[in-house]
Amino acid sequence: MEGTQVTRIPGGAIPAVDEVDLTPVRTYWQLVRQRFVRHRLAVIAFFLMAILVTAAIAIPLLSGDAWKETSLERINQPASLTAPLGYDSLGINTFARLMKGLQTSLFIGFAAVLVIVFIGVTVGSTAGYFGGWVDNALMRVVDIVLSIPTFFLILMLVAFWGTGNVWVIIIAIGLTGWTTAARLVRAEFLSLREADFVQAAKALGAGDRRVVMRHMIPSAMAPVVVAATLGIADSVVVEAALSFLGFGITPPEASLGNMLTKAQDYFYRNPLLAWYPGITLVLVVLAASFLGDGLRDALDPRQRVETN
Amino acid sequence: MARYVVRRLIQAIPIIVGISIIAFFIVYSAPGDPFDRFRSNKVSPEVIANLRRVYGLDQPLPIQFVKWFTAFWSFPFDNTAWGFSITDGLPVRDKIFERIPSTLQLMGTSLILTIIIAIPVGILGAVKQYSIADKVIAVITTIGYALPTFWLGIILRQIFAQQLDLFPLFGKYTFGKEGDILDLLWHLALPAMTITIVGVAGWSRYMRASMLEVLRADYIRTAKAKGLASSRVIFKHALRNALIPIVTLLGLTIPTLLAGAAITEAVFSWPGLGYLGVSAVTERDYPVVLAFAMIGGAMVIIGNLLADILYAVVDPRIKY
Amino acid sequence: MTQRPTRTGELLSIDGLKTHFYTQDGVVKAVDGVSFGIRNGETLGVVGESGCGKSITALSVMRLIERPGRIVAGSIRLADRDLLALSDEEMRDVRGNAISMIFQEPMTSLNPVYPCGDQIAEAISLHEGIHRREAGDRAIEMLSQVGIPDAKRRAREYPHQLSGGMRQRVMIAMALSTNPELLIADEPTTALDVTIQAQILELMKALRERNRMAIMLITHDLGVIAEMADDVVVMYSGKVVESSDVNTVFEQPHHPYTKGLLASIPRLGEKRHRLEVIQGVVPNPLNLPKGCLFKRRCPSAMPVCDTPPPLQEIQPGHLSRCWLTPAGEPPEIGADAEAETAVAAAAALTVEA
Repeated sequence: MEGTQVTRIPGGAIPAVDEVDLTPVRTYWQLVRQRFVRHRLAVIAFFLMAILVTAAIAIPLLSGDAWKETSLERINQPASLTAPLGYDSLGINTFARLMKGLQTSLFIGFAAVLVIVFIGVTVGSTAGYFGGWVDNALMRVVDIVLSIPTFFLILMLVAFWGTGNVWVIIIAIGLTGWTTAARLVRAEFLSLREADFVQAAKALGAGDRRVVMRHMIPSAMAPVVVAATLGIADSVVVEAALSFLGFGITPPEASLGNMLTKAQDYFYRNPLLAWYPGITLVLVVLAASFLGDGLRDALDPRQRVETN
Repeated sequence: MARYVVRRLIQAIPIIVGISIIAFFIVYSAPGDPFDRFRSNKVSPEVIANLRRVYGLDQPLPIQFVKWFTAFWSFPFDNTAWGFSITDGLPVRDKIFERIPSTLQLMGTSLILTIIIAIPVGILGAVKQYSIADKVIAVITTIGYALPTFWLGIILRQIFAQQLDLFPLFGKYTFGKEGDILDLLWHLALPAMTITIVGVAGWSRYMRASMLEVLRADYIRTAKAKGLASSRVIFKHALRNALIPIVTLLGLTIPTLLAGAAITEAVFSWPGLGYLGVSAVTERDYPVVLAFAMIGGAMVIIGNLLADILYAVVDPRIKY
Repeated sequence: MTQRPTRTGELLSIDGLKTHFYTQDGVVKAVDGVSFGIRNGETLGVVGESGCGKSITALSVMRLIERPGRIVAGSIRLADRDLLALSDEEMRDVRGNAISMIFQEPMTSLNPVYPCGDQIAEAISLHEGIHRREAGDRAIEMLSQVGIPDAKRRAREYPHQLSGGMRQRVMIAMALSTNPELLIADEPTTALDVTIQAQILELMKALRERNRMAIMLITHDLGVIAEMADDVVVMYSGKVVESSDVNTVFEQPHHPYTKGLLASIPRLGEKRHRLEVIQGVVPNPLNLPKGCLFKRRCPSAMPVCDTPPPLQEIQPGHLSRCWLTPAGEPPEIGADAEAETAVAAAAALTVEA
């Protein structure tokens, strides 16, 4: 119902013909952009995420080793221009370390989500495309993975297979988090399988691989992108929790979680040390979840829960 | 209904087998073993080899698995069914069962508080949609929802235990006051508050969404057209329907009741199941870790089943 | 400002009703200056395509307009009461009591978690102040009155256990349980099978005789109108475009829109090669055309149609919002009328603000 009145031809005497509704046809991406921009919080979240990512890349790059350089003279020095959050009990620049920790957390968050999407799309599309026993077997695997409490499963994987190893953490989060994406893709595939354009592609002789890669996966991506964005928040929190319990990133490497653990030891001298990584974490979570909400409204309006 | 429950339980068997295989192999095929930490010490290799034999670690994995899995199910009659803890040699079953009351106290309190607070808050947000109250609630719950539980726990402990000294830092009882109910509540306050705050944020958002959806339903318009007062429309006609998904959610929450609070329990050293699970992982106490994973899986399956049963109880349209 | 000619004995009088929706994209004038009346015991059909404002008019009468909608102007009177001036509490006493309403979707209009009988009894005990038990008995009686067999058992059943037609009967039983003076029926048969439709219409007719109530029957189905209505109001884009008694509307329609609607009904025994359908679609409510709202789709559109046409009295009791003369000819001011001339002419013809 997006109608815009078109300029009328001057002196036209046959309005029924010349006043046809010539609403410009918008492309899919124009509509997506329009719907996203309308979601004000999502736009704010987008810029917040952009700032966080930029800071996490640029500041450690510009400040070199400041995030791990200890110095006796600077122990517990107050804030200054080069160290907006002061120095900690080892004389490390807290802000530089915070940004390095954010970098680690975001890297793990994004990388884990890539693993999630990769496994989820592979499993979901295989199950949805072939159906039958393949589908049945894969969905039982999904049930099993869903039935082990996720965090405990991750904890087991990380603790027994490589405490402190970034890649083990990423893979552990990925191996436990793909079920939602798989279900979404499968559901999308089950309905797409019968869709006209897929039938047409098959009738034209396209092979399974081609039909799936060229025609079905792109159509099924919208809900996956949304789930992935929301998954960034979860992954970052899981990493922080792991590091907090001592299984994640271990000092001297920096992560938001291990900064929190360390802040515990220095509470009486500087209680704010626990706030910096925590608030940074909350900002990442908020940015990712609003971004996810906005993308859901923009990419996949059918999923929309609540209308304004 | 009984037939449905039986069918569901039968369907759960392959899932339980799957969980046990995954858990077992994650644990036992991992590099290293629980006795690694003794190696550098003055313990002789013979002693370690002996320990490995006592715990069955010298046998091939599939055999270890079958032995463990078959023994596992005799737990109702045999307290050694789940093996012995590597840290203290106690029967795993007893170690786990002994932790259940603490977890139930913490999670039960938190869940009840969460529901008591979240449902009215959600209703308010939905009924007064777009009002100042709704917006304030939305901001608070959004932030609450984004708070990582363990960080919230640390901050609450920092403020209320360390700075204000109102509550204890950790534990369940003050030394020497074991069994004192007031002392228990005093220790319970902070961990329960942590879980409740995060819980309220999630549940009230869910309740609000559910209520909003119901308030748009045709039968609500019918109720209004009958001339009913809005309080009756909301509390009789809308609420009963809006609670249907909430009750389902309650069933799905059961597993987190026992295992989900692991980190909060760890932050406050609350002697519950979750804390035991985390400590067992830290100490590579394989038998405890495995039993914990199995209980977690069983809880998920039971929770899902419970959710479906509750669904049929509250919604007359559902029959199994 | 000339008033709509009021007729004696009107039960419901709507005058200059405007109900607007303040959406993110702009103001939707869903009902924009609607006036009509219903006499005691009369059935008034309100016809129009979906989105023309007929349901919103009905909900305005019930004062059930929800945000972002609001009644911004006009008056709605029931007998001697000004409904828009009543307090919320007084209005609740009117709803379900003096005025009852049944809705289009019987499948979703009953609360799924309560038995049907309870839902009827609730209205009875509320308005008649009688005890639940007695109200329950009355509910069963109402169910058998609307032709539900084994009413006692059905009263204990949940809505999902009944068919669509049965549910609509339950809705009717609920609406009539308090002996309303006015029943508003919003597309009561649209969602039902054709055979069930006929049964429900028969039932409504029978109950109308028995209860001597007035009915405001909203539908897009002219067949239903022909069957049930005494008078007809045709609405288009939030305005009344034609109104008269049912015979006049069917025999001598004046407005091109009404003619189009009539031409689109298939008739038995009439040889036509194809069904005539009104071309185009209802205009976007956020971007209404200037002047006559129907001009883009109108086969008789003229330059003067850029000026909003007046609601003129074609003959006593027959109103039409069109520039065509009562005989259906283009008016003299037609072909190249200046706006001022048109407005002057409009003022002469207008019977409404």
